[in-house]
Amino acid sequence: MNDTKLAWMILFLPLLSAAAIALFTQKFRRLSIGISIASVVATFLMSVACFFQFHGVNVADSTVEWISIDSLSFEIGVHIDSLSLLMLLVVTGIGSLIHIYSSVYMKEDRAVSRYFASLSLFMFSMLGIVLSTNFLQMFIFWELVGVSSYLLIGFWYEREAAADACKKAFITNRIGDFGFLLGIIIIWSITQTLSFTKLQDLLHTSPWLLGGMATLSGVCIFGGAMGKSAQFPLHVWLPDAMEGPTPVSALIHAATMVAAGVYMLCRVFFIFTPDALHFIAYIGAITALLAALIAVQQNDIKRILAYSTLSQLGYMVMAVGVAAPGAAMFHLVTHAFFKAMLFLGAGSVIHALHHEQDIWKMGGLKEKMPVTFWTFLAGTMALCGVPFFSGFYSKDAILAAAWDNGWLFGIGIIAAVLTTFYMFRLVFVAFYGEARSESSDHAHESPKAMTVPLMILLVPSVIGGYIGISQMLAHFFVPHGGETGHEGSVFDPLAPFGHAPMAALLGFLAVLVGVAAAYTLYYKADEDPIPFKMRMLARMMRNRFYFDEIYAVFINYTHEGLAKFADFVDRWVIGGAVHQAHGSTESAGRALRIVQTGSLQTYTFLFAAGLAVVLYLVLIH
Amino acid sequence: MIHVGLEHYLTVSILLFCLGLLGTITRRSLLVIYMSLELMLNAANLALVSFSRFNKSLDGQVMVFFIVTVAAAEVAVGLALIVALYRKRQTAHVEDLTTMKL
Amino acid sequence: MSLLTYILGLPFLGALLVLMIPGNFKFIIRSVAQLVTAIPVLLAVWMFYNFNSAPGVEFKYDQMVSWIPSLGISYHVGVDGINLGLVLMATVVAFAAVCVSNEIKVREKEYYFLLLIMIGGIFGAFCCLDVFFLYFFHELALIPTFIMIGVWGRGMNRNYATFQITIYLTIGALIALFGLIAVYLQIPVGSRTFDLMGMTNYFRAHPIALNSQHFIFPLLLFGFGILVSLWPFHTWAPLGYGSAPTATAMLHAGVLKKFGLYMLLRIALPFLPDAAQSWLDIIAVLCLGNIVYCGFVAMRQKDLNLLIGNSSVAHMGFVFLGFASLSLIGVTGALIVMVAHGFLAALTFALSGYIYKQTDTLDMKEMGGLLRKLPFIGCAMIMAMMAGCGLPGFANFAGESLVLFGAYSNFPVMTAIAIWGALVIGAIYMLRGVRNVLHGPLSEKWNGVVDASSAWRRVPYILLIGFLLVFGFCPSLLTEKIKPSAQAVLNMAQRPVQPLLKKAPKHLPIRVK
Repeated sequence: MNDTKLAWMILFLPLLSAAAIALFTQKFRRLSIGISIASVVATFLMSVACFFQFHGVNVADSTVEWISIDSLSFEIGVHIDSLSLLMLLVVTGIGSLIHIYSSVYMKEDRAVSRYFASLSLFMFSMLGIVLSTNFLQMFIFWELVGVSSYLLIGFWYEREAAADACKKAFITNRIGDFGFLLGIIIIWSITQTLSFTKLQDLLHTSPWLLGGMATLSGVCIFGGAMGKSAQFPLHVWLPDAMEGPTPVSALIHAATMVAAGVYMLCRVFFIFTPDALHFIAYIGAITALLAALIAVQQNDIKRILAYSTLSQLGYMVMAVGVAAPGAAMFHLVTHAFFKAMLFLGAGSVIHALHHEQDIWKMGGLKEKMPVTFWTFLAGTMALCGVPFFSGFYSKDAILAAAWDNGWLFGIGIIAAVLTTFYMFRLVFVAFYGEARSESSDHAHESPKAMTVPLMILLVPSVIGGYIGISQMLAHFFVPHGGETGHEGSVFDPLAPFGHAPMAALLGFLAVLVGVAAAYTLYYKADEDPIPFKMRMLARMMRNRFYFDEIYAVFINYTHEGLAKFADFVDRWVIGGAVHQAHGSTESAGRALRIVQTGSLQTYTFLFAAGLAVVLYLVLIH
Repeated sequence: MIHVGLEHYLTVSILLFCLGLLGTITRRSLLVIYMSLELMLNAANLALVSFSRFNKSLDGQVMVFFIVTVAAAEVAVGLALIVALYRKRQTAHVEDLTTMKL
Repeated sequence: MSLLTYILGLPFLGALLVLMIPGNFKFIIRSVAQLVTAIPVLLAVWMFYNFNSAPGVEFKYDQMVSWIPSLGISYHVGVDGINLGLVLMATVVAFAAVCVSNEIKVREKEYYFLLLIMIGGIFGAFCCLDVFFLYFFHELALIPTFIMIGVWGRGMNRNYATFQITIYLTIGALIALFGLIAVYLQIPVGSRTFDLMGMTNYFRAHPIALNSQHFIFPLLLFGFGILVSLWPFHTWAPLGYGSAPTATAMLHAGVLKKFGLYMLLRIALPFLPDAAQSWLDIIAVLCLGNIVYCGFVAMRQKDLNLLIGNSSVAHMGFVFLGFASLSLIGVTGALIVMVAHGFLAALTFALSGYIYKQTDTLDMKEMGGLLRKLPFIGCAMIMAMMAGCGLPGFANFAGESLVLFGAYSNFPVMTAIAIWGALVIGAIYMLRGVRNVLHGPLSEKWNGVVDASSAWRRVPYILLIGFLLVFGFCPSLLTEKIKPSAQAVLNMAQRPVQPLLKKAPKHLPIRVK
């Protein structure tokens, strides 16, 4: 029953596939696609098998030692409990669909093998995070996820924007990882262990073990999540990451990788002190609000979705911060489904319009692309939290958990209104009205391999709220002292109204307000009315509150400044000293050269005279 | 009959040496400078041999053999160099050989 | 005869053979050089594989032939956990360096002769266990370095770089020699020996007097520090590597530079523990100079080779930080960084050398989009750059993380800054390099650039990446071998500090007879 062979195979199969493609099948495009898809589907099937194998078993652990010196022991292992099982299913399930979708979307690309190799590498690293047993393993796969994301964002490296975006994503993530690694080292230096289970036991028996470092280490660890889950102020990379191929955006920058931060927070929830949780909650809330505001004035379909991802990640982080990791995970799962579907829908639109991404150049796609439209609409409704769609339940769980803190709840509601507003703006502008460009006029539905994943994702996006996910999580987080929104029977679509009626009603109201506002402003509109009405604010929103510019200035004055300074010192101070040494040696040489007359007789004479003087001194004195 | 003692040998040796030195300093022809050098070497040899004779020790004579051998080798190399130089420059006068000087 | 004698002797034999082959049989000269560096790789791998760190004999595969008994000098080779990895790394890098030497088109005979002498010197410097020979072989390897940079180097700054590297390294070696002799003189006449084991045994029983230690340690630290480009004595390194021919840069940055660190670990830490402990704080500060300051300098570079050179200087900081931690974790990590960085530096210089050969420039503004033309070289470059900024899966990560874990308890703030340097600054300059050279649109003028397409051309790169990956995936291959030896060194280095002036010093630090 506790045999973890299957889990090990799940972990390493994608790595094998990546290695096989990179080493042997670069030239055989179809074979590469086949290997990659086969490996990910196999991992999905194995995950399902794993799910049934370990269903009911609390925890299964299996580790191998990687390095061990003194008191330090780095281990790699697989850790299976309901949290990782759930995440396994989400990652491999969505991963499989997106692999299949990509096989069509990327068919024409020159470097399709490279694409699938990177995708397999990503699957390997992501599964490593999901299955990790200790902090260091998580950090290792954390970095690997970062690099596979780098490779995929920069897949079209010949475009300046993509090349810059991948660099930015990696470096911004590294800033977060700085905190993560520092936090890990702090915790290790005090507890001498990195394993999650051991740490949990230790902290359970002696809660004050970390002492004064407790909050600091918690905040440092959260730094990792800030980078990967793109929380304010490290959120700037995610929108730019949309330069990558759309399926990548769906898989990595919407459904799975960016959720890794939230997953990590839930996994190590036990180390956060109340102060650290406060910090986390406010960062999450700020991100949720800020990103929603920015999304209102974006015109690129993928960027709107990117900012909406940011905003939803803010929600999840906020949920962790209000001590409701179950709600955070719940939202993570439902969000993964509908956001992947939205991105794939956007990809389908972009594919049909020959890489046109501006929503104001679309329009009237409802009739031309019915499958895409209906799935996109369903995804939008799930995202906004329309009742009976999955997002409603998870978002409600978060709002209910935040109910005690007026500020956080208020921000949550405002963000919900904004979410509905910008998503329906997108739907109205892109799918309704007249076609606003030639390409949207000639658009037609995408091929089956692209629409079928959409339809498959439709199912969990709609019913994901009441198939027992939250109950499974509630069960898991109870011993940790975390609180979740839902308990009770599995199939109960009306549970939120019974459980926290005010939160649910306010959430529903937010949806109505948002839809109404979007309808009045954008239904059959030909241009955006907001910039004319609210000039200043609209410009701020459109320019993303100038974060990139502020960072550019900041970096210019700090890192670039220091770099210039260091370069200056190197060139002129240290180099100057070397030059001085060089110069003085040379001038001494020049001075002594005068003696060298070049006349042999003079030399001999001086030599003899010198000898005579020495002899005189030695012998006579 | 005058008794010839160590000081006599040494006087001759010094005279020879000074002659050699003077020749080295004043003469301009490489060949003559070379000969003067040999003169100085042999002055040293003379001194060594006489020391050896009067101190009843063979160390000085061993030294002389060394010097003679080295000097022979030196002459071989040096003369070859001078000939090579002469072929290249058509001169063996030291004033003309100042290419090393900047 | 020990295996190590064969490893060490083959390059010299090869150098002799090269001398005897007429200069126009270029292919034969190349083949000889290739052969005499390929066999040591096999021998070293075999030796690494069969090495068991069982306690008992301190050094394996050792051989000792007395040479000048009156001074205590003997030819003594052997490996323990500390130099085993370094010897393996040295042989692999040497083989790769010969592989990439096909770029040399003038005076090939002389080139290969010098290269083989340099390689032999390097092998000697890491195989020998006699301080005299250690130093001798190091100098033997240095001299060809200078000549090769001067004669086959590239770029406008070639003469200046040669000049600077020569002056710096000669001075460094001189100061270190002074320190080494001072250590040697601490042993009373009669039992004086240059043998490392003899010295270790003697100093274990008779610790050096405190003020002698304080006099000698800075000599060794800064003498060897200059050889390793310890901040602020680092400016020779980027310049020198920037101007050096590929193989020389690979060998020097990859292997020879580690000699200073190796000697610090072998001699300065165990023999002068008290002084070392009082200098730890300063070393920790200086290593930040390497990691952070040189990282910043690397960010500003416009020339690819200078970027790589500065990054290689920055990596040395981790080794110093590991030494400063004076803990088993930190020192083991530092040794892994040394091995890993050897492979990495060789790889990056080999790649930049290839790119230079193709484009005739290393100015990053001129380049861009080369990944399209150079899929293999470009991928290898990206892997190297990622390894350079500490990506897990490459050996560098294992070493650097061990160093950081080891150093935290003694130097929390320094470690935090070092993490920033490793994760953020490292990523910035490495990715900037990738962005400027490989990414972006391809310029018209690089249409003639060709990739390393034949399998033979790819061998050195694949070999180096392969070793980085093997040790990255299984660092325990190294750590298990290093641990006992590092522990032995630390047992001496961590000795409780002598109370000041417990006994009056019997003699001045350096006695003039």
